[in-house]
Amino acid sequence: MQIDLRKPELVMKLDRLGSFHQSKLSFLRSFIREFKNWEFQTKEFNLDNQGFGHIVYVVNNGQKQYSLICFSNHIEDSERSDRVIATKWDASFVLFDGVPAKEDIERLKANVPLQEQGRVSEKELCLSRANKSIRVFEHVVDKLSKGIQPDTKLLYSVGYLYRTTAVYGSGKFGLADRIKIQDREELKGPFRLEMMLVYLARQFTFDVVNHVAYFRSPDKATKLSEDIARNLGIGNSTGLGMAPFIVNHPALLNQWIIAKEKALKAIRSILSVSQKDKDIFESYLSATQENIKYWKTESDYQKKKNKQLLKDLDSFQNFYSSYTLKNYFWNSIYEWIEANTQSECCEFIVSLMMEVYPDIVEPLSYEMSINEDEYFDIDTSKTIDEVCKLIENQYTWLLNIDFDNKENIFNFWYYSKNKQEPRMSDRFSEEGSELELPLAIARDISALYGDLKSYDLKRDLGYYLLKNQEYRHILRRVLICEKLPYSEIQDNTISKTLIPVDMLRLKLSFFGATRFDPRSDRWVRITMYQGAPLMKEISTSNDTWSYKKIA
Amino acid sequence: MHSLYEIETTIKRSSRAKGLSWGVSEEAGKAVRVLEQSKFQGLESFKRLVDLGLTKLNKLLDVGQSDTSNLCPIHFGIFFLDQSHNKDLHRIHRFKNINEPLLILPFLSKSAKSNLLYFDFKSSDLNFTISPGDIFFIDQNVVPNNLSDFSLTISTQRKSLYDQSSWDYLYKLSLETFVEETEEKKISGAGAGLTDND
Repeated sequence: MQIDLRKPELVMKLDRLGSFHQSKLSFLRSFIREFKNWEFQTKEFNLDNQGFGHIVYVVNNGQKQYSLICFSNHIEDSERSDRVIATKWDASFVLFDGVPAKEDIERLKANVPLQEQGRVSEKELCLSRANKSIRVFEHVVDKLSKGIQPDTKLLYSVGYLYRTTAVYGSGKFGLADRIKIQDREELKGPFRLEMMLVYLARQFTFDVVNHVAYFRSPDKATKLSEDIARNLGIGNSTGLGMAPFIVNHPALLNQWIIAKEKALKAIRSILSVSQKDKDIFESYLSATQENIKYWKTESDYQKKKNKQLLKDLDSFQNFYSSYTLKNYFWNSIYEWIEANTQSECCEFIVSLMMEVYPDIVEPLSYEMSINEDEYFDIDTSKTIDEVCKLIENQYTWLLNIDFDNKENIFNFWYYSKNKQEPRMSDRFSEEGSELELPLAIARDISALYGDLKSYDLKRDLGYYLLKNQEYRHILRRVLICEKLPYSEIQDNTISKTLIPVDMLRLKLSFFGATRFDPRSDRWVRITMYQGAPLMKEISTSNDTWSYKKIA
Repeated sequence: MHSLYEIETTIKRSSRAKGLSWGVSEEAGKAVRVLEQSKFQGLESFKRLVDLGLTKLNKLLDVGQSDTSNLCPIHFGIFFLDQSHNKDLHRIHRFKNINEPLLILPFLSKSAKSNLLYFDFKSSDLNFTISPGDIFFIDQNVVPNNLSDFSLTISTQRKSLYDQSSWDYLYKLSLETFVEETEEKKISGAGAGLTDND
């Protein structure tokens, strides 16, 4: 039986992309697989009795070292904010290439807590900050200092002790450019260093609560149980800044999606499935249904999705348990979920199917990076006719959108001058649309198509560009999409009905985030590394922790 | 020091702020990044161009256009990047005057590689050749901020840069890695059948 990749016109819809879940391909999981044989150690522990100061963690394989320097600072409750406008944080982090000298730590101490307002150097690789979860931090310290473990019901309903609010890499604020590290074998997967930073920052959160609890009551205090710590991740609060990334990196987006689609295709193509594989899947399915109950959100949008997911999973489980093995079992399963469940459940099951086949899925995680520069140049020898046909084939979905209708051009994307962060606003009631970012892909391709049609179709793009450089950026995209069919979100990113949080969810699912908790249609809280092995356990860990039952 | 990412992004945004299209601004950002990475003062050169008024400079849209003075190097570079696949352009072109000629280098270099071309740039103040090969060096100090009466020759022909006697000597030396062939070896060593017409 010939099973094809799912078509881009199905996968690349925002409703579908906004329903993606973490999987074996997620970057935080491939980070742990890649680094599990490295040595993780606490190199310096320099906190005062209140937990302020710095800690240095080193990851080392005998030849190469990376260090996370964590600065813990006192801030007033009124100064604590997850928003990008904040200027102070409970903790700030910098990932250092090698092991920092004393002078490096002094230099970084003066700059890293300032984040965007500070300056780092090419010795540093990633920068981040985090705030305490007020809901649980004090509770945990208080209980531990009295010698008792904290209330896991409260703890797991939050899922973390600290929440990061930004993680920067690749040349930002003076950090090392990607070119410096791109050929390192251990960094072949996307966002490896960012994942390393977040993983070590999670360890920092445990070390801080244990330390503060101990000094609050040295005679009575106990340490946070490792079982509880393992079931805590680190939070993240993400706003619109993430959304333009997936539009601005079409080649990279293609690599992420096609890796998933190749995995699914390979699994659906398995002729004969063993009873053992069927049972493994079922065990993950039941454990994870329990974990979903810990996904708390105030968002009506997400509540509805979670409710539908649980409902769909129930009906799927009934179907699955009575469905007997036959040839192309997984293909039949996929066809059933596609026909009978919503995208949220369908993509959840796809991630779960990938768990059963590490030999198929894990090698694909090495194909998820790409040299984007190789796709930058425009082949100007193509004829205008060829490009028109490309648009007709690849962008059929946008050719019937009426861009004279205000609803379809309602929003514009821009960079906020004060915060240097992407924003989205109503173009008809707010100022600044003349400084619109080139993220109105559907509208601009539609305009390009109309314009191309008015030229002699036999002429080449070189001729066309002589007079039409305003379409250069969009032509580049069309030609990228020809080679990389999963590079383009197939929805109008400026329409009034756009739900930006779907764009955030897409990227965060590839990071490995869980417990999506949208705080509005353009801001989401998530958890990373919940259930992951602790730093001292990483060498003996396997990659099944994501679907272990919490508590 | 700023990272290459910061340089590229800042140049892209400032080009856009000065009225260039997003696509052209992206090209400008990449060009300055490549120059800075190669130890050329691309950012300073670009800054002088902005001071001149990016949109006031003359765009090259046709090698036969009547006015080729006060040329913008970004548009000059993009012209040859976009048009050099066209064989009609593979000849000598003469121009009156260009600003900040350093900025054309990344574009010509890219075009040379993708179209396997040679660009010979000649003027009384500066001569250089850009080839599809990777090695390229030019002394930054000899690149003026403005160049007049220059030519650019585009060709697909690689030129021989060595004496025939040098070639003959090295070729003869290379033969010393070969084993002398006997009649017996012609049969046993080649591994083919005795009849080649079967």
